Amino acid sequence: MTPRGSGDGAGPGGGRAPDGHGVEGLAHLDDADMAERETASGEAPLRAPAAGARRISWQKWTFMPAFLVAALLATWLWFRGARLDSIAHQAVDNGKVWLALRQHIQLTAVSTFFVLIIAIPLGIALTRARLRRATPFAMAVANLGQAVPALGLLVLLVIWLGIGARSAIVGMVIYAVLPVLANTIAGLRGIDPTLTEAARGIGMSPMGVLRKVELPLAVPLILAGVRTALVLNVGTATLATFGGGGGLGDLISAGIITQRMPVLILGSVLTVALALLVEWLASLAELLLRPRGLEGTN
Amino acid sequence: MSFWEYVGTRHTQLLADTYQHASVVFQCMVLATLLGMLIGVATYRSEWAGSLATTSTATILTIPSLALIGLLIPIVGLGVPPTVIALTLYGLLPVVRNAIVGLRGVDPALVDAAKGIGMSRAARLLRVELPLAWPPILTGIRVATQMLMGIAAIAAFASGPGLGNEIFRGIASLGSANSLNQVLAGTVGIVILALLFDAAYVLIGRLTISRGIRA
Repeated sequence: MTPRGSGDGAGPGGGRAPDGHGVEGLAHLDDADMAERETASGEAPLRAPAAGARRISWQKWTFMPAFLVAALLATWLWFRGARLDSIAHQAVDNGKVWLALRQHIQLTAVSTFFVLIIAIPLGIALTRARLRRATPFAMAVANLGQAVPALGLLVLLVIWLGIGARSAIVGMVIYAVLPVLANTIAGLRGIDPTLTEAARGIGMSPMGVLRKVELPLAVPLILAGVRTALVLNVGTATLATFGGGGGLGDLISAGIITQRMPVLILGSVLTVALALLVEWLASLAELLLRPRGLEGTN
Repeated sequence: MSFWEYVGTRHTQLLADTYQHASVVFQCMVLATLLGMLIGVATYRSEWAGSLATTSTATILTIPSLALIGLLIPIVGLGVPPTVIALTLYGLLPVVRNAIVGLRGVDPALVDAAKGIGMSRAARLLRVELPLAWPPILTGIRVATQMLMGIAAIAAFASGPGLGNEIFRGIASLGSANSLNQVLAGTVGIVILALLFDAAYVLIGRLTISRGIRA
């Protein structure tokens, strides 16, 4: 949830995610992330700010891939040596592991795509003057939605729409739209009103103000929303297995149900590695796509 | 059988599951709060220890709950142990992060004043810094509790306690007349619990946030 979430969260949890992934929690996640980045850029205070504008401490950015490669290699070596009986073989043979991994990535990518094309335009619409009165209502719904468990939502959709990847994707989209929407609205509302007034004062149209002033200033928060959505969706995609939607959850649940620990560990390690990799890629993108004009403010 | 009839006939089972769900989330949250505040207090003064604590707890939160439970099962077995460990770990992040942010946000002049009137290190922490940092910590606890409600449902797959069992019973009998009722009862139960806990936190905030900083 997260985190995010994560979350959060957030997730992302924290998160909601996490994630977790409550909306207020996500705001806090971002605070601390920014503090973290400040310390990262504070390591070389003597360099000129222009030259070091996109300075990324390389240890920080190579640690995660190196760790993941080592963990995956160790798991693979261990798994090759593990003794598998016929039931375990049934769960992993014939490219079932690759299939599960591919399905998982597809579920995550498709649902994140839909989350973004729904949540960001909706967030922009809800902060326009005409719809502004609906904003607190949307935020209240977004907060209330955090109370609905992802598992229950997904299974209810499976009962309603039938077994398969489609219901899983619909559930994942509904679950992740709310935090991203809340992030977008918070980002657009947090913009200093004197800036938009100045833009209007020099004769920009409302569309011009949105495109040239508001959106560039809200980019960091929107990108944080993208990361939240990705992390939440990687996590929720593991639950797709309970509605016949495939993904790495298939391996985990097969491992638990049949009590075959090698299958369970393989599925779990792959899921964890995928989640950490996605988070790493998203935070890298977040850092590289930030508008240059905002470098100094953070 | 309509939903209300279902709830009427199964109310003992449902109440037992609800009680267990609330109890496991509450207990893990108490544990996570204590651990999280200890970690926060131990690390907030040092730049790198603080960011190490937040980065590592954030990494835990990134891990999908089903996968973390899957990794815990070979070590501690099925049932209550993996549920409690997973819930406590996930509950840590918001508390640790908000504790560090909150403690660092305390006005240094106030801490200095406390030192000036002769307060010891422990007294400064307990009577000045923690009361001032309490509102963000409470927000973290609230966010974490809501998250744990949903994760506890997933933990039922590893034979954990609570309303998740109702949902998984519904999945097992998918297509039968009662499956919708079972899933709906589990989901609605969790939503109600989450809202009740949220209301309780508002009340706790009223009672425990120091009068001087109440908005």
